[in-house]
Amino acid sequence: MDKYNLFEKILLYLGILIFMTFILLPFVEMFYASLRPLDHLFRSPYQFFSDDLSFWAYGEMWNTVPMLGRYIFNSFFLATSVTVITILFVIPAAYSYARFNFTGKNSSLYLLLAINMFSGAVLLIPLYKLLRTLGLLNSYQAMIVPGVAFLIPTSIWLLKSYFEKIPIDLEEAAFVDGASRIQILRHIITPLSTPGLVVVSLYIFIGAYAQQFLFAITFNSKKEYMPIPAGLYEFIGYQTIKWNEMMAASLVGIAPVLIIFIFLQKYLVEGLTAGAVKN
Amino acid sequence: MILKHFIRVISVLFISLFSANAFAATDVHGVMCGGEIREADMTVINKYMADNPDVNITMEAVPWGTCQDKVINLAIAGDPVSFSYIGSRTLKGLAENGHIVPVNIPESMTSMYQPGILDTVTHLGQQWGFPHAFSTKALFMNCDILDEAGLACEGPQSWDELYSMAETIKNKTGIAGIGLAGKDFDNTMHQFLNYLYSNGGQVIDPNTNEITLNSPNTVETLEFYAKLANVSQEGPLAWERSQLTELFNDKKIAMYINGPWGAGQHGDINQKTVRIPAGPNGSQGTLLITDSVAVFNGTGHEDIAMDIVANLTSGDAQYDLDTSWGLTPIMQYPQIGKVAPYNTDYWMMFIDAIADGGPEPLLVDYKAFQTVMNSMIQGAILGEGDAADLVAEAAEELEEYK
Amino acid sequence: MNNKLKSFSSPTFLAYVLIAPAAIYILAIVAWPLAETIRLSFTNSGLAGEEYIGLENYEKMMGSKKFNQTVIRTFVWMFFSVTLKLVIGLIGAVLLNAKLPGRGMFRVLIMPPWVVPIAIGMLGWLWLYNGYFGIIAGVGMKTGILDGPFGFLAYKQSAFISTIVADVWVGTPMVTIFFLAAMQGVPRDLYEAAYCDGASRWHRFFKITLPQITPVIITMALLSAIWTFNSFEIIWILTEGGPRGATTTLIIDTYKMALGNYKFGKGAARAVVVMILLTIFAAFYMAILLRINKKVSNG
Repeated sequence: MDKYNLFEKILLYLGILIFMTFILLPFVEMFYASLRPLDHLFRSPYQFFSDDLSFWAYGEMWNTVPMLGRYIFNSFFLATSVTVITILFVIPAAYSYARFNFTGKNSSLYLLLAINMFSGAVLLIPLYKLLRTLGLLNSYQAMIVPGVAFLIPTSIWLLKSYFEKIPIDLEEAAFVDGASRIQILRHIITPLSTPGLVVVSLYIFIGAYAQQFLFAITFNSKKEYMPIPAGLYEFIGYQTIKWNEMMAASLVGIAPVLIIFIFLQKYLVEGLTAGAVKN
Repeated sequence: MILKHFIRVISVLFISLFSANAFAATDVHGVMCGGEIREADMTVINKYMADNPDVNITMEAVPWGTCQDKVINLAIAGDPVSFSYIGSRTLKGLAENGHIVPVNIPESMTSMYQPGILDTVTHLGQQWGFPHAFSTKALFMNCDILDEAGLACEGPQSWDELYSMAETIKNKTGIAGIGLAGKDFDNTMHQFLNYLYSNGGQVIDPNTNEITLNSPNTVETLEFYAKLANVSQEGPLAWERSQLTELFNDKKIAMYINGPWGAGQHGDINQKTVRIPAGPNGSQGTLLITDSVAVFNGTGHEDIAMDIVANLTSGDAQYDLDTSWGLTPIMQYPQIGKVAPYNTDYWMMFIDAIADGGPEPLLVDYKAFQTVMNSMIQGAILGEGDAADLVAEAAEELEEYK
Repeated sequence: MNNKLKSFSSPTFLAYVLIAPAAIYILAIVAWPLAETIRLSFTNSGLAGEEYIGLENYEKMMGSKKFNQTVIRTFVWMFFSVTLKLVIGLIGAVLLNAKLPGRGMFRVLIMPPWVVPIAIGMLGWLWLYNGYFGIIAGVGMKTGILDGPFGFLAYKQSAFISTIVADVWVGTPMVTIFFLAAMQGVPRDLYEAAYCDGASRWHRFFKITLPQITPVIITMALLSAIWTFNSFEIIWILTEGGPRGATTTLIIDTYKMALGNYKFGKGAARAVVVMILLTIFAAFYMAILLRINKKVSNG
């Protein structure tokens, strides 16, 4: 069943090639921009090879923005913190929405969505006042606390759909055998929804990574706590922008996340254990 | 169970992280834009703190692109910084809304400014910021391309000559004659204003606060600007000035308008800098743009802040900024004995133009102003209307934003 | 025995307890700013401070012809973008689900658009679309498709399409990965049974895979629509809403007319209108999606 004939193989690889080209094309531009000298960054018509390509920008960027390493660490730390905290709030809530019916279920679900319908920029000033009152400004918390709040709603929706796919018979069987619901949540649901969990955690992580910038700029003034996107701004000068170094820094900045995903992607395991549903 | 524990721990952590404030006599918080505070500035700050021991100054460097928005947001949220570097175009709006205080610029400084500088920070007869960074514009040309087209590498003396030069270049070499900015970006409007001020036009009268945009001079300028699209790079609406620099460096345009930092950005191009040509109804003009340092209202120590800023924006500190950033000198430095590096032909192009230049127009809602102007310019380039109609429409819309 | 089963799925105190932590957290952080935004929409809050002006912000907005055009433009833009994301995402998930050598590497390679800060990715597209310097124009000129430089962002229709393509680029990897995870969760015995019965690949896909991952498709369709509606940075960096408003969606308009000039009252009013529009739209959308869901699980 898993064997493909030659025609199918060619078709599949061709499809993947086209898909990959679409996905990676802008990175080609970005990569080349990072290799060229600042006074001749771009050529017309496009040239894939020229004699002034070099990796100079990758070295120079650490001089232009001395705290770059710290920023990369901060981004990572912030995103991880947000992910861990958010997932802890989301798992029980998503399970509840997936399995139970109660008054206010549907309206609260849509209310959650409504929160995401406001883009962050609108809420910025009121949020600033709130965080100031709580005394959370200019710290790591300044970026973590709002980050979690905005990621919870959609994460609940996403995880809920994965929980819904797990057959209820498994849980009922365990319940009849005397397991408490919390035990079911921990020992049955969580392992079986691993692909879903991995993916939602990844979503939260990347979402946290992405929204860092707005919160960092507005709620934090201490350079030591800044994440990468804020740090990239330091490549922008008064009238010149060091594009080559900025691109080099961006590409280096996303490397840690990609490395994580290389490890994670083997947890996108296949299927439920066969035969688990036999009673 | 575990969850409840967790919540408890987290809330204790949060509460215990309230920071305690140590109070000094006067805490001044200043903001400069950029990656770090410049040494020349720190020298002034340290000296001030040494001379005034009960004043404690904290300087913060906020990156370009977020600097202005951040200090304005803070002012609105009721947490203003003491002073900040800011674009002069924001001064009118901030002044009208009481976020900044009028500044008293000492006579020793006002007498040194280049002509027209103070106009960029003046509103209702008062100054609202200390001018700190200044630029004018000139026309850059690539002599090699002009040679190739059989033209002498001399500056055009009129708009007709500019157009015919560009046309010749395009016909003879296939290279675009001039770089034209049309993207919805602030410097598109600036590029247009260079031409407008070379044609006797104006946007707003600073003394009467009347919108004077709707004039035959403006219509003429707009028509010319749109006509340049025939001899410019393809698709002007996708280009703004810093991208034109890239084109110039790749030898794909022969001429374009830029500021004094341009020479340093152009690598090994055989370049020449000349004055912007005069239109049929004006003289060779230019656009005067300044950034200033504003003093915010509501800090309780506005006068101390003003004192500090006056030191930061005059004398050696100011000279250091102008030379290290490659800007048009904001003060007439020969008055304090500094002649270099501005006594070269290159710098003369930018300095001579000052007297004939016009200030960046000051409107309360400068972003809406920019949108209206750019819409007018784009409409003309796209051919979506008669120039006279577009100008009249723009002038009417500006009434709401002045 | 039966009593226990019944109480398993009946509403209990437990349901509320499980949701409580998340709900309390959100209420604490988001409730006040949201309420404040709605309150601001009834004021003329801006640089000058504020006073209440009732429904004036809303009246001005609804009355302008430009606003109605913007709304229509937003929905059209969103429709194309979301559809493309879902379709390409599904195809991508199928491709990456296939047991081919190298698929681990491919799965990692589609991540970058999702991971890289949107602003940076858009710089990449800005350069791609450049009429003189970009790869697209370059290849076009070399192969003779284009006579000369062509600025994709310089003209109204091409800018509209170009921004959609960039938005699809940003959103597709996430959709693909979510669909892939869903496909991975389909029990293998279902496929084996069908294979033994002689079902072809197409048959297995349409009769087993699609119905099994439908809950995830529905959720992604809804969420993707909401995100796309609020998609700001993508259009802003590429065109800032130009040329001449051709790519100005509601969120761009909100930023230009209100947030950019610190007119919080106006901005808040626009945000509220966006939320109301989105809610109405989401309600219709969900109704349709749920009907499809019913059909699929019954059919």
